[in-house]
Amino acid sequence: MRDTSRDDKKLDDLTEAVIREVEADENVKLDEEFRSGLKEELVQKVRQHLEAKRKLEEIRKNKEAKAREENFPRFGLNFRLQHLTLAIGVIILIITGLPIKFHDSVVSKLFFEITGGITVSRIIHRIGATLLIIVSIWHILYITASKTGRNDFKQLIPTPKDLKDFLQNMKYLLGLSKEKPRYGRFSYIEKFDYWAVYWGMVIMILSGLLLWFNNFFLGLVPKFVLDVATEVHSDEAMLATLAIVVWHWYNVHFNPEVFPFNATIFTGKISKEKMIKDHPLEYEQMKSRSREMHADEK
Amino acid sequence: MTALLTILLAFFQLAPSSQNTRCFLCHGKESFGVTEQGQFRSLFVSPREFAASIHGKFTCVQCHVDVKVIPHFIRPQKISCLQCHFEGNTAGAPVKWMPERYKESVHAKALEAGNPNAPDCETCHTTHYVKSPTDSTSTTYRKNVPELCGRCHKKQFEAYSKSIHYKALESGVLGAAVCTDCHHEHDVLPPSDPRSSLSPEGVVRTCAKCHSDTLLMEKSDVPVQQPQAYSESFHGIALENGMVKAANCTSCHGHHDILPASNPSSPINPKNLPKTCGKCHPNADQNVAKGKVHIIPGEKSAGVVYYVYTFFKWFTLIVLVFLFVHIILDISGYVRRKYARHE
Repeated sequence: MRDTSRDDKKLDDLTEAVIREVEADENVKLDEEFRSGLKEELVQKVRQHLEAKRKLEEIRKNKEAKAREENFPRFGLNFRLQHLTLAIGVIILIITGLPIKFHDSVVSKLFFEITGGITVSRIIHRIGATLLIIVSIWHILYITASKTGRNDFKQLIPTPKDLKDFLQNMKYLLGLSKEKPRYGRFSYIEKFDYWAVYWGMVIMILSGLLLWFNNFFLGLVPKFVLDVATEVHSDEAMLATLAIVVWHWYNVHFNPEVFPFNATIFTGKISKEKMIKDHPLEYEQMKSRSREMHADEK
Repeated sequence: MTALLTILLAFFQLAPSSQNTRCFLCHGKESFGVTEQGQFRSLFVSPREFAASIHGKFTCVQCHVDVKVIPHFIRPQKISCLQCHFEGNTAGAPVKWMPERYKESVHAKALEAGNPNAPDCETCHTTHYVKSPTDSTSTTYRKNVPELCGRCHKKQFEAYSKSIHYKALESGVLGAAVCTDCHHEHDVLPPSDPRSSLSPEGVVRTCAKCHSDTLLMEKSDVPVQQPQAYSESFHGIALENGMVKAANCTSCHGHHDILPASNPSSPINPKNLPKTCGKCHPNADQNVAKGKVHIIPGEKSAGVVYYVYTFFKWFTLIVLVFLFVHIILDISGYVRRKYARHE
């Protein structure tokens, strides 16, 4: 509780001092009744000002909290399910695939012992592969047949601005510039992630199919093509795994700004605060679009 | 009892030849023998050859312990090699794992089951003329092994005698594979036994024993990388991790009649590859001959695969360096901004 009597006393002293100063300036002596009336008025005035200031501060804080709580939709359910399917597929594929690449390691031996050998793990691997193939077809349909998908895909295409953003970000990170690049719906980091997956999916699925249906392809292509497929499958798997563990996990998990977990890809929501910070251009576009819509309604 | 035997043996060892002359009075005559059930059975033992054998310094009665009086009128019992070749024997007979492992072999099992043709020690080592396997006149000398086994295993010997292994052996490469290199001498086990040197997984180790031996392979001008390349291939990895049907060495190369790819009747001759691969991959056609086999991706000899491997090696390295640098810059930027704010 605030000590009101002490505050009053302080204010009382203060007004007393002010009145005395004016008296000295004007060289007059005010009578007691007038003085007390004046004092009360002054105290009230100061109180009002303080109250107004407090209220303003509260409003500002509320606004900030609201921005943090207010969410914008970022990814639709379709998009989120695609990511989930892809993630599950890739995890299955990595777990069952790496022991083949590193077949001499103790962990791989243990893995084969637990799963019951390669005859079992290869079936699990093909389940993962099926998920990957499904999601790739699904995604192609999404970015061609669905309007949101087409729109998202258009915004994922690299532009000269991404190069500028990258250079600006380097300056920003090195402390050479105070300005953070202003990203649109997808930053160059997200675009890199997307196209890395795109490239990886094409290579892994094509080489994987060659190996899966080796007997069928043996009648179509020379043996060295299958040898290349084997090598490519193994090398690209390594690159993809490292990219996911190093790059993707850093950006969505270990980055101190999002640690431990950026849930947007699962919830589909992004806070207004993050939206303004990470996707300012998209935010502005959204705002102007909604303003236009409201204007149309009127 | 053992002490007594030792003394006895020591005594006999003093003058074995003088002791043996009494035996050879009869057994040293080439025409000496008995007629059993109307058939003549030779009881001749060549004194000269016996003296040349590894047991030449011993007396006859050291093995034929039941012969107490010479001449003997009862037929001596069949002797056992284990009389001397047992752990802790005092006669100085070498004891290794051989007799023990022999007991596990298909030969011993067949003998136990009553097959009179199954080989015992003496079948291979002979009875009276046992020689060291390093002696070129021994039946168990490397070069003589194929004929020794071929006495019973006629079909296999016939196939083997066409092989590059036998050809090399004949031309004087003593290290060339003979029967026992793959089948072992004493512990001959069926391929179905997981301990066998010829089980699917065992075959790979068995072939690799010689084929990854640089010195030996150089002598015969045979490339040495095959076993390593195989174990890195999907066939090798699959076999190693429980897929028994995956191709092992013999699936493509055959076994007894192994021939180099240049030979038109070899299963790995380019012309025969469709059929060979077709055993497992029925769609295989001439395409399977287009490309190298047993490649190590990191070596230039792998051809196109080497270039793919090299591309990915550098590509992965460059991408990861870029990603790491980006991440480190990101973290350092974050830390600096935070620090500046606190100031």
